[in-house]
Amino acid sequence: MELGDFLKGAAEIGKAMGVTLKHLGHKPVTVEFPHEDIPIYPRFRGRHELRRYANGLERCIGCCLCEAACPTEAIYVEAAENDPEAPLSPGERHAKVYELNLLRCVFCGDCEEACPTEAIVLGHDFAMANYERKDFVLTKEELLNPGMPKVIIRPE
Amino acid sequence: MTDKVTITINEEEVSVPARTLLVDAARMAGVEIPVFCSHPKLDPVGCCRMCLVEVDGPRGTAMMASCTMPVGDGMVVRTDTEQVRTVQEANLAFILLNHPLDCPICDKGGECPLQDQTMRFGPGISQLIEPKRLAKKHYDISDTIVLDQERCVLCWRCIRYLEEWEDKPQLGLFERGNDTIVDIQDGRPVDAKTSGNIIDLCPVGALTNRVSRFAYRPWEIERTPSICLHCSVGCNVRLDSRTHQLRRIVGRENMQVNDQWICDKGRFAHAWVNDENRLATPHLRKNGRLTRVQWSEALAYVAERLAGIREKYGPDSIGAIGSGKISNESNYALQRFMRAVIGTNNIDHRDGGDVAALPTGLPALSELMKPQYGPDPQVDTVLLFGLDPSEELPVLDLHVKRAVLRGGVKLIIAHPRKIELTRYDGPYLAYLPGGESTLVDGLVRAVQDSDPSEEESPVYAAAKLLKESERTLIVYGPMAVRGESGPGVRDGLARLARTAGEGARLSYVGLDGNAQGCRDTGVLPDRLPGQFPLDDVDARSRLEALWGCDLSTSPGYTYKQMLDSQEMKALFVNGANPAAESPDWAASLEELELLVVTDLLLTETAQKADVVLPAQGWAESDGTYTNLERRVQRAPKAVTDPKSRAAPDWMIFTHLAKQMGANWPFSDAHSVTAEIARAVPGYAELTWEALGDQGRQWDAGSAPEVEETAGRASEGTSESSVGDGDYPLSLVTGTVLYDGGTLFSLTDQMHGMAHGPTVTLNPADAAESGLEPGSVVTVRSEQGELDLTLAIDVQVQTGCAWIPESLPGAPVGALINGSFTQRVKVERH
Repeated sequence: MELGDFLKGAAEIGKAMGVTLKHLGHKPVTVEFPHEDIPIYPRFRGRHELRRYANGLERCIGCCLCEAACPTEAIYVEAAENDPEAPLSPGERHAKVYELNLLRCVFCGDCEEACPTEAIVLGHDFAMANYERKDFVLTKEELLNPGMPKVIIRPE
Repeated sequence: MTDKVTITINEEEVSVPARTLLVDAARMAGVEIPVFCSHPKLDPVGCCRMCLVEVDGPRGTAMMASCTMPVGDGMVVRTDTEQVRTVQEANLAFILLNHPLDCPICDKGGECPLQDQTMRFGPGISQLIEPKRLAKKHYDISDTIVLDQERCVLCWRCIRYLEEWEDKPQLGLFERGNDTIVDIQDGRPVDAKTSGNIIDLCPVGALTNRVSRFAYRPWEIERTPSICLHCSVGCNVRLDSRTHQLRRIVGRENMQVNDQWICDKGRFAHAWVNDENRLATPHLRKNGRLTRVQWSEALAYVAERLAGIREKYGPDSIGAIGSGKISNESNYALQRFMRAVIGTNNIDHRDGGDVAALPTGLPALSELMKPQYGPDPQVDTVLLFGLDPSEELPVLDLHVKRAVLRGGVKLIIAHPRKIELTRYDGPYLAYLPGGESTLVDGLVRAVQDSDPSEEESPVYAAAKLLKESERTLIVYGPMAVRGESGPGVRDGLARLARTAGEGARLSYVGLDGNAQGCRDTGVLPDRLPGQFPLDDVDARSRLEALWGCDLSTSPGYTYKQMLDSQEMKALFVNGANPAAESPDWAASLEELELLVVTDLLLTETAQKADVVLPAQGWAESDGTYTNLERRVQRAPKAVTDPKSRAAPDWMIFTHLAKQMGANWPFSDAHSVTAEIARAVPGYAELTWEALGDQGRQWDAGSAPEVEETAGRASEGTSESSVGDGDYPLSLVTGTVLYDGGTLFSLTDQMHGMAHGPTVTLNPADAAESGLEPGSVVTVRSEQGELDLTLAIDVQVQTGCAWIPESLPGAPVGALINGSFTQRVKVERH
């Protein structure tokens, strides 16, 4: 091995180490998922949520338009009449059953767009893995009480 | 009438009948004119102004309401000009001024003419910034209809329907100008028997169905064209289903049967279809309790027990009760099973062999509808004998009313009660149960009488009408011809029809949905399929060849005889509930060695059974049904409960026959229909495909003649209606529309409409007895007693006590006990 080669190699290593050393003090670009949150764009479309009004009433009135708009038939709604004494939503009608099949959903957001009361929205939760097929069918209770209420409303 | 005029619509010439309304002429020419108030079945009123079109006149072009304007020869009409479009936009903007636009929660949304027309003809933008008018929302105008006054566009369709068809103006317009609202009169709920039709008529969501409220969306339901089975009119309906559940029933147009109207029972009383208590598995009695078993076990048990009983006591110890509520296929399979496999004629249904019927039913329902729709009336006088269409056949009632109001048809009514139709001019002939034959004889005598004009009595007034009319239709129901005196009354009526003149016709109508089909398919102890007598050589040889067996010629027991007789050892009860009719029958069912019940629910009879087999209802399996004018109609499968193991009745009997050694070639309901076509000459061409969506009438000419007895109707019958001291009142029973039957009472929303357990007396009788209306009284007959609430009504004649059949908790059978007339007394409880 000649000396020249040796020095050349050492310089290359030094250059490479320089890059390493330069970034040693920098904040990493990778994220320690799932221990850390990742930044999500405001218009990201994740797990659905059913919203409520400030007074606690459900926004959903069970009109079934999301169901009609859904291209994959992921949504099933069964409407019922409100008890005038203890209404669940404003007006006469509420959703008795609201089921959303995540295995079918393609997260296109058509339901959001169809909703006349901005009740169903696609939230930011994307970690939706589960062990049982049936657990992928979200009930109204699961949709109404999201773990991560991080939602922005996009006016269309 | 067939004069044609030529008009020009949008530069195209069309030829239409004279006096056609412009809006209809445009429809014929394929030009759509938007309308709200105009409806082909209602008189024009011209109040919504949506249909304005340009018409050239002597004073230039003018905007005219096309729904009130008859066409004139040479008329020039334009519907597509800028002017017309501007007016349509302005009109829609005006109509929408006060419309709340709550489409997302409105049941009409998706099938709403206002939505459709706003999208097509509307302005597209709203200029309204002012607040909308507020009025009553979700306001119940009856137990079954909800009114939303805010959504109403004041088209008057509901008001006009109730006035023009029901002749019951129960809705009206109130207030003026911007405050105008539709409301009920004086807070009295709408109670017309066909009031639900205003829901179908409403062009917006102002009137909605309370029973199906929020249960469906028009875009997600499956629509099955079917028929209604609550009565024998056989109205055409559409079944709307979703997720294996029947969500809603709406009327379907059939101009030969029901126009487009259906009654409220047919529209709203359907909760039983999806009831959670429907039988879903076969049950077998083990250690005194009904236990769920597999089909194979239940059928093997029945087959083995039947074979044993037949060997021990002979085939005539086994009987079967069919039903006018189940399909032709099921009834046919049942009677074939009894006749060919068991070898007995012990097969009947309620209102079957005990009733003196005629084989062909009404000539045609459309004849009664002709006064409005056709130029050539076939009927000018109707005599209703022992039939109350308002309670028994509501859509026939609608046709009769229309015929009277619009067609000038004269009405004669003979009934023990002063029924609702007696409000129209015409003689009302009252009789007491048991006095039918006397009345018929009196009528015949009065018609024969040379100068009846001197007499003032209703009988002579009726006779005069009958003599004067050229096309009389006499219609009688089962109530008048039950029991021993039945054939006499029937023959008396036949004599009356002959005496009344050439054009007079007589017809019998049964009441159950498939009463006619039940007779046609041979569920009668003395008639083979096709209603041929048991000794008819042709019919016998045809059926023996078809079934590959010899047929018994000895007549079987009738419904009543089977239940009264001690010799019955085994009984099939198929869709009937005799245990609820009479306590004695309930007791005699307990005595049987084998009772097999096929039904939808665990009825009183099923609770006593040894084997209960779950049946599918009319909405769950294909079937054909024959209505009161011999029209065979299809009811295809509309819903299925995926968890239920219920089977159609014909399939149950096919499997049972197989267990007993007979191999029937039935693979599906259509193959049974095809065999009926071979067994019954009248049904020869009526295959499933041939029936179509509108059904087909079988030819009355193929039915056998009825032999008449000679002599007067009242001869040989005992006059049981004569009062005696102990039991001063005559018991009148009959059918009411809103009874306590299982098919009705399972619809919770209609509970308030049901007839309560009451006995109704004439106010004079009640006053005489010193009893207070509303108090609990005891009704006693020689046979038994019942505790009921007392009501008074002038509809009930003096000397009568009126207790409807099948009331919840009030089996009137306890008083009758199988006889057909009875005397009662009413006492303080």
